[in-house]
Amino acid sequence: MAIRVNPKLIEDLSRFGAEDVHMCYHCGDCSAVCIHSDEMFRFPRKSTRLLQMGLERKLETSLEPWLCYYCGQCSEQCPREAAPGETMMSIRRWLIARYDLTGIAGLFFRSKVAEILAIIIVALLTGIFFLYYGFTFGNIKIYDGPNAFLESSFIHKFDLILGSVLGIFLLINALRMWYLIMVKGNIIPTPWWLYIKQIYLLPWHFFSQKRYAKCESTNSNNVHMPWLVHLGLMIGYVLMLILVMVFLPALQQGPEIQWSVHIFGYLASIGLIGGSVYFIYSRRKKQQIQYQKSHSTDWVFIILLGIIIITGVTQHILHRSGLFEAANIVYVVHLMSVVPWLFRMPFSKWAHLIYRPLAMYFAAIWAEAFELQNYPQNVIPITQT
Amino acid sequence: MRIGVFFCQLEEPKKFNIDSVAKYSANLPEVDTVEILGVKPRLVSEELSVRIKKGNLDRIIIAGDTPGYFKPVFTKAMVLAGHNPKEVYLASFNEHGATGEMALERAKAIVACATRAVPFSLAAIPAKNPVNHTTLIIGGGIAGIQAALEIANAGKQVYLVEKTGTIGGHMAMFDKTFPTLDCSACILTPKMVSVGQHEMIRLMTYSQVTDVSGNPGAYHVKILQRARRVDIKSCVACSICSDVCPVSVESEFDANISKRKAIYIPFPQAVPNAFLVDEKNCTYILSEGKKCGVCVKKCPKECINLQESNQVLEIEVGNIILATGYDVLDVRKIQQYGYGIYPNVITALEFERLTNASGTTGGKIVTKSKQINKKTKEEEWFFSVDGTPPKSVAIIHCVGSRNKKYNAYCSRVCCMYSLKFAHLVKEKIPNVICYEFYIDMRAFGKGYEEFSDRIKQEGTFVVRGRSASVSMNNGQMVVKGEDIIQDKVVEFNADLVILAVGLTPAAGSQDLSRILDISRDSDGWFSELDYNGNPTDTEKGGIYVAGMCQSPKDIPDTVAQGSAVAAGVLRSITSGKGIGHLSSISLSEIESRAKSIITL
Repeated sequence: MAIRVNPKLIEDLSRFGAEDVHMCYHCGDCSAVCIHSDEMFRFPRKSTRLLQMGLERKLETSLEPWLCYYCGQCSEQCPREAAPGETMMSIRRWLIARYDLTGIAGLFFRSKVAEILAIIIVALLTGIFFLYYGFTFGNIKIYDGPNAFLESSFIHKFDLILGSVLGIFLLINALRMWYLIMVKGNIIPTPWWLYIKQIYLLPWHFFSQKRYAKCESTNSNNVHMPWLVHLGLMIGYVLMLILVMVFLPALQQGPEIQWSVHIFGYLASIGLIGGSVYFIYSRRKKQQIQYQKSHSTDWVFIILLGIIIITGVTQHILHRSGLFEAANIVYVVHLMSVVPWLFRMPFSKWAHLIYRPLAMYFAAIWAEAFELQNYPQNVIPITQT
Repeated sequence: MRIGVFFCQLEEPKKFNIDSVAKYSANLPEVDTVEILGVKPRLVSEELSVRIKKGNLDRIIIAGDTPGYFKPVFTKAMVLAGHNPKEVYLASFNEHGATGEMALERAKAIVACATRAVPFSLAAIPAKNPVNHTTLIIGGGIAGIQAALEIANAGKQVYLVEKTGTIGGHMAMFDKTFPTLDCSACILTPKMVSVGQHEMIRLMTYSQVTDVSGNPGAYHVKILQRARRVDIKSCVACSICSDVCPVSVESEFDANISKRKAIYIPFPQAVPNAFLVDEKNCTYILSEGKKCGVCVKKCPKECINLQESNQVLEIEVGNIILATGYDVLDVRKIQQYGYGIYPNVITALEFERLTNASGTTGGKIVTKSKQINKKTKEEEWFFSVDGTPPKSVAIIHCVGSRNKKYNAYCSRVCCMYSLKFAHLVKEKIPNVICYEFYIDMRAFGKGYEEFSDRIKQEGTFVVRGRSASVSMNNGQMVVKGEDIIQDKVVEFNADLVILAVGLTPAAGSQDLSRILDISRDSDGWFSELDYNGNPTDTEKGGIYVAGMCQSPKDIPDTVAQGSAVAAGVLRSITSGKGIGHLSSISLSEIESRAKSIITL
């Protein structure tokens, strides 16, 4: 089969943040210094090579970008200042756009204007919708209970519908990822039972993020422990998501605080606030190499999240202090930021929450399939050249 | 003729404004179009050809710091436009030295010459002046020695000034030369002796140039002759003085891997073959004459005078040759290889001394042995004759070279000497495993590629992919790297790691550039007048560069340049006309000269 080359691949990737790929002269420093680079999967040099040669098909079926957590060691040691870490990050963004069949992700990553415009449109539509609903069926002076401005059972239903739509999007993207990596990119037969054997890896990597922790152990620069912060942020998200999707009516009851649910809400909020503050601090300070370059989508993400946190906390305080009218208005603003933020989820970096564990899962399946086939694994010491 | 001038930069010039050069070029005769295309422009031949057709341009001038980069695009555009593609000329600011104080004037002159299709170096020839027949050579390495011998053998007086106690420079430290594997000392020492004995060469070791004044052809030079404290004429290098000297310090000549005394001779074949006193470590001098002084009492020839003081010499010379050579990059800055932390990580120069038959182990390649210092009770690692030979050796190329953080340039000699090391290791230690880690193998000279093949055939593992790190695992050094060709990560144990460290300009070159008012390039090497056409001349009349101080080069090239520079000096002496400073010629003069030269 002929190998297709896309000579404009580097140019395209530059819009995803990879600016210095052409600088690389392949000394192999980065691959050797990377703690995750092993016999099966060597990166970032190889990915950089694919990019330089414009091997689009190979790049889109490669697993390596998802195995990198951007500790920054490679970029720090790179003699050409080619920023291999940033290249891997950009390839991940590009892959997200590739996995997404709608093309929305690609549009958002490539054009900051399109993304902001889409967010504003969705936010305005959400605002109009909820204001119309509230004024038609509810009373602005009531926050909880049956005649509330935004009745919790309705919001709950809305959440579930939105959640399912997004879930379907994510699932389709995940399937696409599976197809690209395991079907198109596979070179050896993979028995189906391996999928079942390794399935435990999915929840394991999702919740522990053990691989990320490994980065931390090697990098002397990571004084801030990004793994721990990331884990906190992630747990915050997941808790909040579960609370909103399942326990929303309990959260919005009044006047007493239902502690059995709310305690988790507070914990999740702490995780989210802590993570976001760290995120903003690091990206502003730019001390660590992995935070020196920020893509526009990173900032959109964090600004929206900031609005969500602020409005969420404010409406909660207003509600509990009896200022229902103000609480309702802030609630609408909160929803106006939550809906576009959630809607953006499958089309943004956020989607890595499923791609990462999936990648680890696929990697393990591959490794075992290789072993089963007695495929020539790379052995040390090397043979004479 | 209608001429179009296009300004294409790779970076914004620091010393002058492109706009003012553009304005100037617009007023030049026959210039029709002037366009500033900016920094790193993306040029498309098709678009350019439209512009060329529109302006009906017969000749294109590409002006910029490295205009050759854009030439193919313009040539193609000329073809597409149906014009003569040969009429594309370059106005290279970098190449012709539009970097110094007169950068703007120079840039204008370069463009003016290009519009006339006249090579800049043909138009810009400064006025001639009478020349003093004596020559000063700064630096007594192989470049300085070669130049000195060439000029002296032509019967002209030479002053050779050397900073250390002996001539010979770095080449005297080496064991073998690549690719012939000749003994380095066997080539060098006869030349050194000739210099020492030549009646037309006045050798001044342990000396430095402190001041230069005057004009081309008649420079007035002040030389500080530091007190050697041993009379060169009567010393017979019997080494009784150093036998009794109680001070022991690291030997610079042995790349700090062995010890010498405070009164010492750098190496047995030194020229002049006499001892000298290291004033920074001598007990007598440090105590201001109160302690020690044993060497004076023991010297059978009574040639030691510890009270001797520095002298300043003043000489008149016609030409000055700079041959100051290089230093090795301080590899402690590069932490990933563990130099200075792990005892058996050594630099290339240290290995040269280790493997040299006159070195501390007599040429035996060993790993360092441990001993406890009696005074400080600390562990010390040193090379001992009884040390164990390494079972595996890793040689890492490009340490600090081709690296944007240290030296962006290629040091040019490392690939070849590293291959030579592999050969020496294989030759001296049976059954040793030897790895070479390289990025690109730059075997550029006559017989070099064949040498590289030979090393591979000898069984050295030549791995494409520079290793990233050296680490310690239970007292065993582990080298990790990526083998790019075989597509695998290589991790293996090494007993000895040799770092092919990059080269930097010699420590004193900054001072010298100030004293002589010679410009240096961004990496610190002395700037030659014209990289291609005039590689040994400088902007200053009667001042020349030779050898490593101009740019990294290997021994054959250095020797060749040493001879070449002598040709320039002798040309000026025999013709009686030296060349003045390039800055002495004005823009209008260059313009009128460019007009008068007819090119085909």
